[in-house]
Amino acid sequence: MAGHIPLQYGSKQAVKQTAREPFMIRFLLITVALAFLFLFLLLPLAAIFIKAFEQGVGLYIASITDPDALSAIKLTLLVVVLTVPLNALFGLAAAWAITKFEFRGKSLLITLIDLPFAISPVIAGLVFVLLFSTHGLFGDFLFQHDIKILFAVPGIVLATLFVTFPFVARELIPLMQAQGSAEEEASLTLGANGWKTFWLVTLPNIKWGLLYGVILCNARAVGEFGAVSVVSGHIRGLTNTMPLHIEILYNEYQFSAAFAVASLMSILAIVTLILKNIVEWKSGQHG
Amino acid sequence: MSIQIKGVSKTFGSFEALKNINLDIQTGELVALLGPSGSGKTSLLRIIAGLEEADDGVIFFGNEEITHIRTTERKVGFVFQHYALFKHMTVFDNVAYGLRVRSKRERPSKKDIKKKVTELLSLVKLEAFADRYPAQLSGGQRQRVALARALAVEPKVLLLDEPFGALDAKVRKELRRWLRRLHDEFHITSIFVTHDQEEALDVANRIVVMNEGRIEQIGSPEEVYEQPNSPFVYDFLGNVNVFHGRLEDGQWRNGNQADTEQQALAYVRPHDIVIEREKPTEDAVEAKVIHVHAVGRTVHIELKEEKAERFLEAELPKEQYRELNIQTGETVFVRPNQLKVFVPADFSI
Amino acid sequence: MMRKTKWKKHSILPGFGLSVGFTTLYVSLLVLLPLAMIFVNTASMSWSGFWAAVTEPRVIASYRLSFGASFAAACINVVFGVLIAWVLVRYSFPGKRVIDGLVDLPFALPTAVAGIALTTLYTETGWVGQFLPFKVAFTPIGITIALTFIGLPFVVRMVQPVLQNFDQETEEASAILGAGRMQTFFKVIVPEIIPAALTGFALAFARALGEYGSVVFIAGNMPMKTEITPLMIMTKLEQYDYEGATAIAAVMLVISFVLLLFINGLQWWTNRKYSHS
Repeated sequence: MAGHIPLQYGSKQAVKQTAREPFMIRFLLITVALAFLFLFLLLPLAAIFIKAFEQGVGLYIASITDPDALSAIKLTLLVVVLTVPLNALFGLAAAWAITKFEFRGKSLLITLIDLPFAISPVIAGLVFVLLFSTHGLFGDFLFQHDIKILFAVPGIVLATLFVTFPFVARELIPLMQAQGSAEEEASLTLGANGWKTFWLVTLPNIKWGLLYGVILCNARAVGEFGAVSVVSGHIRGLTNTMPLHIEILYNEYQFSAAFAVASLMSILAIVTLILKNIVEWKSGQHG
Repeated sequence: MSIQIKGVSKTFGSFEALKNINLDIQTGELVALLGPSGSGKTSLLRIIAGLEEADDGVIFFGNEEITHIRTTERKVGFVFQHYALFKHMTVFDNVAYGLRVRSKRERPSKKDIKKKVTELLSLVKLEAFADRYPAQLSGGQRQRVALARALAVEPKVLLLDEPFGALDAKVRKELRRWLRRLHDEFHITSIFVTHDQEEALDVANRIVVMNEGRIEQIGSPEEVYEQPNSPFVYDFLGNVNVFHGRLEDGQWRNGNQADTEQQALAYVRPHDIVIEREKPTEDAVEAKVIHVHAVGRTVHIELKEEKAERFLEAELPKEQYRELNIQTGETVFVRPNQLKVFVPADFSI
Repeated sequence: MMRKTKWKKHSILPGFGLSVGFTTLYVSLLVLLPLAMIFVNTASMSWSGFWAAVTEPRVIASYRLSFGASFAAACINVVFGVLIAWVLVRYSFPGKRVIDGLVDLPFALPTAVAGIALTTLYTETGWVGQFLPFKVAFTPIGITIALTFIGLPFVVRMVQPVLQNFDQETEEASAILGAGRMQTFFKVIVPEIIPAALTGFALAFARALGEYGSVVFIAGNMPMKTEITPLMIMTKLEQYDYEGATAIAAVMLVISFVLLLFINGLQWWTNRKYSHS
């Protein structure tokens, strides 16, 4: 597992405060930690919103309603709508296969699922270039049938699928491993078939983990930059996702516009964090 | 529903969990599968339920062969060791589950389901807990919910895996009594797995003692306790003292002075040991009293055999203990009143 | 007795064929086939061509920068990550819950957004940059800062549960046996958190090596000076030098595999260490 840390189930119970440090040391440690977090997390986050509104609300609204911005938002949403459900489905299938059965090649499968976390997003984009560019493996075939994958929406979707596909599986595998199969077995002895067992017993038990995986997958799908950058071709209004649009605006020194679009994505990031905490809390309650 | 198991074997990897098991269970019996962990008892239960598949052998429910029938269609009630209650459902929904998942054609009406579940909940004395979640129940209550849930589908066979294993001693006793009453009332063929001999002796009509994937002995509680057919069964079903001796003309003699004669071990229950102050026969063994535990009606006495550096355990009624007036540190004479002899060759299988 | 060696252990749960089939197909098409392309294409290169591509001075400089900055960032993250985890688990202070939730921000925030935000802060006229006596943006220091940002949650989230589950009675025992607070910390607590901290370090390092989005803005991308290796791949691609890009990618992939193995080993070690409790 590289690049992702699963949800921590179980409530964060209060830790006994017996062997405590003197007040001064405690104060110092807390101050240093908070200062670091302020510098590295809070300040950049604040900067995004302040820079976004620096030139006034009018420009902010103009920036996010600009046709190119809107088409970037639309494309990003399209990518999310296509990739997240597919990867959620994959995550469910993979977790079911890995946690409910013993078979040869299982650890190899787990390693393969982890791979995208360990690989540079640029390489994730590159592999699709190698497959689908005119010199690529399927280049001739695609050219003859006039199918465009690279520098078009399918390429962006594929690259995003690649970088986001471990999230749901990675979230569900440890969870389902911990829960075991006893409830499923009980359901079968009570006469329920496989699908009913899955819908009525398994799914309700993993819903929070699944939701969390989907949230993470979604956040990454929206924000993926490197891989998409390689395969998109940066065609404004056509193959620009939100992060790519930000890059173009920034490189054209339209800083406020860049930060305006960035602020939208930051709001999504904050919502993601809030949802994550709600899910953690909920699953801690029912865990 | 009677159950017939013929030649069932099962291996997990290189571990032989079950070796050619043959077992007949009559309709309405309450059978205990008793054995230490790893004896194969849980595997056998899971194979009967269809949760595992036997490598070899056949299983009949009544006249119907069900070896390859899926769990879903076997109509067994299974109570899991850790209950396996559906965490996200209320007690009511847990019990109703088996009825609700039936196909539309066979599913009872909502009203009937409610009636049935309420009935079962009152049977297990949990009417007041219908809306609770499993996490809000005690261990004993969860166990009863698991039972009610298993009974809801009106199983022909009830299988229980270590049903009282995870409960504390007092609740355990209560549930034991209660399970027997339940069985007397419904007469469902029931099999339960346990590693606790007391539990098996107390609850079951018949006990199947298992060891290392084989059946050691099948019999009523009295039979397996009074006439164990192997040292293993003797040992497993209660405390035991082993005397080393020899066979002379079919008679067991204590001590093994002569190597040429056949060696034999005598197995003696603590309550079959007689303690005397004077040496009555030459079979009696000299022993020193090490510890006396005199709480309750029976007195437990720990002794050390002087010659053999072996420890013995004896049980006397309190009156007899008072009469003998045994003190710690005293030397007394000990002899088996009733014993079961096993010649080593018999059990070096 | 008949003994079959099957590739799958029997299970009564349904859906084996469907789930394993779908998973394998999906992984093969989406991961195995595309990644295999890197090695297929590399194998078709001549050895000298490959060697020349991956040892070009500009590329060598990029390795040095990527490794150096990633290592520095991972080191910073270990020190501050352990500190933050400690403070979050052991002490209470106002706003702790919010801070705890915020630690995951680098996972949730798109890298490009983080990139432009950090760049804006650390340019010579930026809110932070103007107070610093040295240049940060467009230097290796800036790259290290971006990599520290994206790797921050790893160490914190690895160490936090270990501290949470740490049996404080051992600490009390240590104190009763006469150890001072510092001795207790280094002799009792540190050994417990080392595997987790190391895993966090390796995860942060691996992530930093491949990171692109948050770095390109703050790096300035000057050849030989502030070009990271993923950017080199990008540059080669833009020049339609697919062979060069693939060769460098192959080198990075191998490094990723080694790191992945190392991390799995570390995690195996951690699990073994804690499985008894």
